[in-house]
Amino acid sequence: MKGHEGKEMNEHDDRQIREALKRSLPPINAELGRDLWPAVLRKLDNRPARVPWYDWALISLCTSVFLFFPQLILVFAYHL
Amino acid sequence: MDLLRRFALGEIDAFETLVRQFQGDIYAWIVRIVRDPGIAEDLTVETLWRIYRAHQQFRPDGDFAPWARRIATNLALDHFRRKRPEQSLLAEPVGAPPPDHLLQQETREKIQQAFRRLPAKLQVAATLALVEEQPYDEIADALGTSVGAVKLRVFRAVRILRKQLNHLGVKP
Repeated sequence: MKGHEGKEMNEHDDRQIREALKRSLPPINAELGRDLWPAVLRKLDNRPARVPWYDWALISLCTSVFLFFPQLILVFAYHL
Repeated sequence: MDLLRRFALGEIDAFETLVRQFQGDIYAWIVRIVRDPGIAEDLTVETLWRIYRAHQQFRPDGDFAPWARRIATNLALDHFRRKRPEQSLLAEPVGAPPPDHLLQQETREKIQQAFRRLPAKLQVAATLALVEEQPYDEIADALGTSVGAVKLRVFRAVRILRKQLNHLGVKP
């Protein structure tokens, strides 16, 4: 019996909180006012350029070669 | 080939068609959560961008709208986590709120204040369930959880709100 009364009280409190929230939060207009496709397209175009893995591999290889054979830097610079 | 299959393959034309078809629904879902049109527009653009980036993860035999809503909800949750507690639920309401003689302005502000202090997950669940009266299964789907978990979050939100309002001396 007590449990039943407690449950009813809780439901009453929940209803009160729900109504209070509805009254307190301003109503919103859920209609979208403009087309967002141009903004999405701009964002897609502004994607940062990604460096592919093989470029990183090439950079690492070159760095290693120049570290072990520094004299090759001159040969490399001559051919640039 | 159907639209969703073309989108899953990354075709930009198919994505454009989907954007035009679903942007209104996604915006409406987000604005109900964040309750600010400007922020909702930005989050909708971000959602659509993420949707395109995740096109390979989309299963064409699935439903697009719930998948999009889940991405949108995650972004709205991230937004709350980043912005709180400065985020205001009062920002740019559309039209003046209806005159309310029963509830004083001060009480309203205290309720909003208490609501803003809720953890992001509880606030989102409570907004969608209690204020916007969205179906629990839709909320659960958007939050990537079960209906039971949503009910628990709403229950916890109400309990915390009741406690905070008692503490502030507000009778809802």
